[in-house]
Amino acid sequence: MQYPGGVTPALDSVDLDIAAGESVAIMGASGSGKTTLLHCLAGILRPTAGSVTFASSQGPLQVESLDDAARSRLRREELGFVFQQGLLLDELTALENVAVARMLGGVPRGQAEAEAAQWLQYLGLTGLEQRRLGELSGGQAQRVAIARAQVTGARLIFADEPTGALDSATSVEVLDLLLSATTQGRTLVVVTHDADVARRCARTVVLRDGRVVSDTAASAPAASAEVTR
Amino acid sequence: MTAHVPPAVPGARPAGPLATAVHLAPLFTRRRDGDRLATALPVAAFGVVTALLLVVLGGAQAFFRWDDDLASTYEALAVIAVVLLLVPLATVGASAARLAARRRDERLASLRLLGATTGTITALTVLEAAVTALVGAVVGVALYAVLAPVVGLLRFRGEVLGAQMWVPWWWLPLAVLGVALLAAASAVVGLRAVVVTPLGVRTRQRPGTAHWVRVVIAVGVLVAGLVLMQMLGVLGRLGGIVAIIGTLAAIFGGMLLALDALGPWFVRIRARRQARRAQTVPRLLAARMVLEDPKAAWRQVSGVAMTSFVGVFGAVGLAFGATTPTEGMDGDERWLMQDVSTGVLVTVAVSFLMVACSVGINQAASTLDRAAVHVSLDRLGVPRSVMGEATRRAVMSALWMVAGGSALCAAVLLFPLVGYAIFVQPVAIATAVSVFALGFLAVRGAAALSARLVPGILARPERAL
Repeated sequence: MQYPGGVTPALDSVDLDIAAGESVAIMGASGSGKTTLLHCLAGILRPTAGSVTFASSQGPLQVESLDDAARSRLRREELGFVFQQGLLLDELTALENVAVARMLGGVPRGQAEAEAAQWLQYLGLTGLEQRRLGELSGGQAQRVAIARAQVTGARLIFADEPTGALDSATSVEVLDLLLSATTQGRTLVVVTHDADVARRCARTVVLRDGRVVSDTAASAPAASAEVTR
Repeated sequence: MTAHVPPAVPGARPAGPLATAVHLAPLFTRRRDGDRLATALPVAAFGVVTALLLVVLGGAQAFFRWDDDLASTYEALAVIAVVLLLVPLATVGASAARLAARRRDERLASLRLLGATTGTITALTVLEAAVTALVGAVVGVALYAVLAPVVGLLRFRGEVLGAQMWVPWWWLPLAVLGVALLAAASAVVGLRAVVVTPLGVRTRQRPGTAHWVRVVIAVGVLVAGLVLMQMLGVLGRLGGIVAIIGTLAAIFGGMLLALDALGPWFVRIRARRQARRAQTVPRLLAARMVLEDPKAAWRQVSGVAMTSFVGVFGAVGLAFGATTPTEGMDGDERWLMQDVSTGVLVTVAVSFLMVACSVGINQAASTLDRAAVHVSLDRLGVPRSVMGEATRRAVMSALWMVAGGSALCAAVLLFPLVGYAIFVQPVAIATAVSVFALGFLAVRGAAALSARLVPGILARPERAL
């Protein structure tokens, strides 16, 4: 993968096979290509060479061969995202932010909000459904983002520094919630600088200058993570 | 070769805030390629403001060339038109100032972190806004030179405005200076609304509230206005023409204030209902965008409130002018009725044009401000049309409320006459309706224009995040 005008490739000879239900941490120094890899896997960027195969609900998909609209639909319907900043809409309530993900898929608002409410309840946000983003703490906002990432039934969740803006106690809670998704058969790919976050994942891939320099399984996978409410 | 630690610099003599700002300002004018649009937009916005201001002034002064019996009537009508256009013109000016101020905050916070004083920050902000406005205003003078001959084709008293549209040359530097000063004043007011600290700028204010108390006060003002209207005859006998004009001006001003107080409240009530009932994402987002700040939603389009109200009177006047027998009238009297209606419709059209400019500028600023949200939504797979449709709906919903509501109020007041006019002069009414329809389309187009900025933002997402 090479950016236009870039002198060196952002990603080079990266070969990864991520199994369903796995939790993978992608680590590396700033500029090592972590986020670029996540964007290529998620179909946000189209790699200049190579391919990304995703086992979608419709069968295997060559992500890089899809056009913009098809990749957008893939992200909307089959993938979930949790970023450092929750990327939620300021104007909407917590409930609406989650429900919008379903409404974009054509689900009627009543049903979308009912499903959203269940996820918010599951993630310990009962009573905060009608609060707007500015009225939530960082950890609560990240829970809303996690609910939104899962409400569509996404098979694969991408998280980019999901705990970067949180204190350590809240980070643990948020990570527990993310890892609990893998116990439901979802796959989790986390980009992180935080070694503690990586330790909790079943596998850690380390990048340097766009290349994979290590790919190791954790001795104690975190599949036993429990939801903290 | 061995690198040496640079020697310590001798202590510099502290410069004043203005001198420091003058030294710093050039650093901020050299922007990266991607920010060229951000620099060009405020300049263009101030250009539009200046051009519109000069066109309105040029058009108004064209009515001061006669010295016959009807001269004072035409002069009074020109002044009324200018007053009606002041609100939408102020809205465009405020939008341009807001656009100029965008993205300023992060830079100001960084400067504070580097030790810049509040004085330096203020001086830099004012200087930047004034220079942007100055350049824009000069562009606006050129735009006026293009627009004036076109507007000059309008006919009043049977003759085209033509060269009368040109304002005296010395008005041009005054207009340029005035726009620059207004921009500087807006920048100062804008700075007062935020707290610049080294750790950031607290810019997000509480959403504008629209309290029901405003409604009570506004209704009181309206009732007082009605009572004063009934007392006009008595006041005229006591104080003569000066008392009548003063009272009318007070009623007019009071009505504008009452409208400004009532508008946001109605906009909020309607948006709340829409938010409850929305079944699609763009509808839900549009309603929530309005609820975020009902006052701002109202102000953006409020420029057409009074003109829409007066526009209905103009339409009815146009219809009656066409049916009134003209045998007993002299030439000038025949023109007067026609000219009043033409003037009203031109004023309505210009007010819609100004609101369209204001909406275009506001939405461009908002789209650039929310670049990160657009990038994020795209990454989440949200169709690009969703935000654009939501924005358009938010603007048009408020516009329907403002223009539609005002026109409806006027139509109700003139109910039997409107019905009669539709019946006897459908062409005249159709002309007025066409002006409104074109005005709505212009605003809709302006709201949709901002969506054209999104592909540029998405092409370089790293600059937004």
